[in-house]
Amino acid sequence: MKVETKVGLLSVVAVVLIFVFAYLVGLVSPFSDSYDLNVMYNYAGGIEQGSPVRVMGIKVGKVKSITFVPDFKMSGNGEEVKLQVKISVEKRAWPSIRQDSRFFINLAGVIGEKFLEISPGSLDQAEFKNGDTLRGEDPPRIDQLISQSYGLAGKMIELVNKNEGSVSSMISQLDKLVTNFNKTLVLLEKTSKNKEMGRLVDNFIKVSDDLVYLTAGLRSKKAEESYDLIHKLLFRLEPLDGPAIRKFLQQEGIKAKIL
Amino acid sequence: MTTKQLIQNPFAFIGVLLIHTCRDARAFLTLVVQTLFQLVTHLPRKKETIQQLYFVANGSLWTIIFCVCFAAVVTMLESSFHMKLVIQNDSMVPGFASLLILRELGAIVTALLLTSRIGAGMAAEIGSMKVTEQIDALKMLGINPIRFLIVPRLIASTIGCVLLSIIANLVCIFAAMIVADQFLGYSNGMFLTAMRRFVDFQDIIFASIKAFCFGFVIPLVSCYFGFNCRTGADGVGRATTQSVVFASVAIIVLDFVLSYTFSYFY
Repeated sequence: MKVETKVGLLSVVAVVLIFVFAYLVGLVSPFSDSYDLNVMYNYAGGIEQGSPVRVMGIKVGKVKSITFVPDFKMSGNGEEVKLQVKISVEKRAWPSIRQDSRFFINLAGVIGEKFLEISPGSLDQAEFKNGDTLRGEDPPRIDQLISQSYGLAGKMIELVNKNEGSVSSMISQLDKLVTNFNKTLVLLEKTSKNKEMGRLVDNFIKVSDDLVYLTAGLRSKKAEESYDLIHKLLFRLEPLDGPAIRKFLQQEGIKAKIL
Repeated sequence: MTTKQLIQNPFAFIGVLLIHTCRDARAFLTLVVQTLFQLVTHLPRKKETIQQLYFVANGSLWTIIFCVCFAAVVTMLESSFHMKLVIQNDSMVPGFASLLILRELGAIVTALLLTSRIGAGMAAEIGSMKVTEQIDALKMLGINPIRFLIVPRLIASTIGCVLLSIIANLVCIFAAMIVADQFLGYSNGMFLTAMRRFVDFQDIIFASIKAFCFGFVIPLVSCYFGFNCRTGADGVGRATTQSVVFASVAIIVLDFVLSYTFSYFY
């Protein structure tokens, strides 16, 4: 073989190896079959270009690019979302992602690697189209949460320090209250075991039984008829005044001493 | 000044050292400028360049592949050992070991091996030509020795170093993959996933830029010592040794400068 051929062969091998490397790191992927999705966030919690995309914990793609879009509004509700994360998802996982899927940003691994987790959607929902834009779930701001709870703790400490006397007296009073309550409970327990008390309760039960019988009698049909009769009688007696009653009694020849 | 006088007067010793260093640096820079001038103004000698490229690249290929394979094995096993010692987990080893290979190991091992092989060869070759007055003969014939001798070597070494470093990097990564599979229990898929987490395409570009710079330095240093070779077999041996030492030091320093510069791009 000629020297030129050997040198040329080596150069070709090197160039081929560069392409192999580009394929290995995922820069060129001629055999890949994946779709793209644009996920919108207002806070992306430190996700980076090249971070993995997972569906049900399985890696199916990566974050292709992150762009700032200051004037973007969601088509549905007009919400302003300013960060566009473009992700690629392999075709094999595509049917699992539906319109009701949710797009979280999660943290995993020893070094705290960030990844984009997609929750599987329900079957009755439609699939996405290639290049669709959708809203992701903003991850919680841990830093904000910590600073807020720090502030709250500070305020609580300040409050306690300012009202040290009243807080301690409140605590002692609470303590007394609990002690008294405890005593009351003990007394109640003792009372429930007392004989006299038992008799009292028995009598009370009997009285209530009698009352039940009485009220049942008052509600019987006979009693209702009696109420009607009384009502009618009263209705008839209503127009009668004193002289009319006297005249009636005189006509009847009855002299009542009481009148 | 004689050696005795120099030892008696330390200031004179420092002064002489400084003057010699400045003189050598000036001579080296002159050679570099002349070489670049010849490189730009004249077309290189094609046949000689290809011959030199064959000598540099094809001739060193198997040595370099053999050495970087072992370097990869050691890197993987050592990284795993250290990570297990520190955090009881070596799942990140494939990732950062491949990054280490690409950022440092591939290019520098290639360059140092090339220095010891072709750097020494060039210094010895040009040194013997100088001793046997062949360079003077070239001048007599009206041929510029820099254009005739250094430029083809410079082009061949630069291209060869880049080609070899690409091959070395990839071979190193494949060797690391095999080690991870056989000794650490990480399958090829896991290795590639972990690698992708850290490694980007720019890494091989940076490695190639490094190799380009190393390949540029080796023939210049070697040819400088060859051209300034003292007479006699002793002079040639001395020139060869000095060329290997200086080229190695230059490569290490240059590696630091380039690594520091590239770290701004991450």
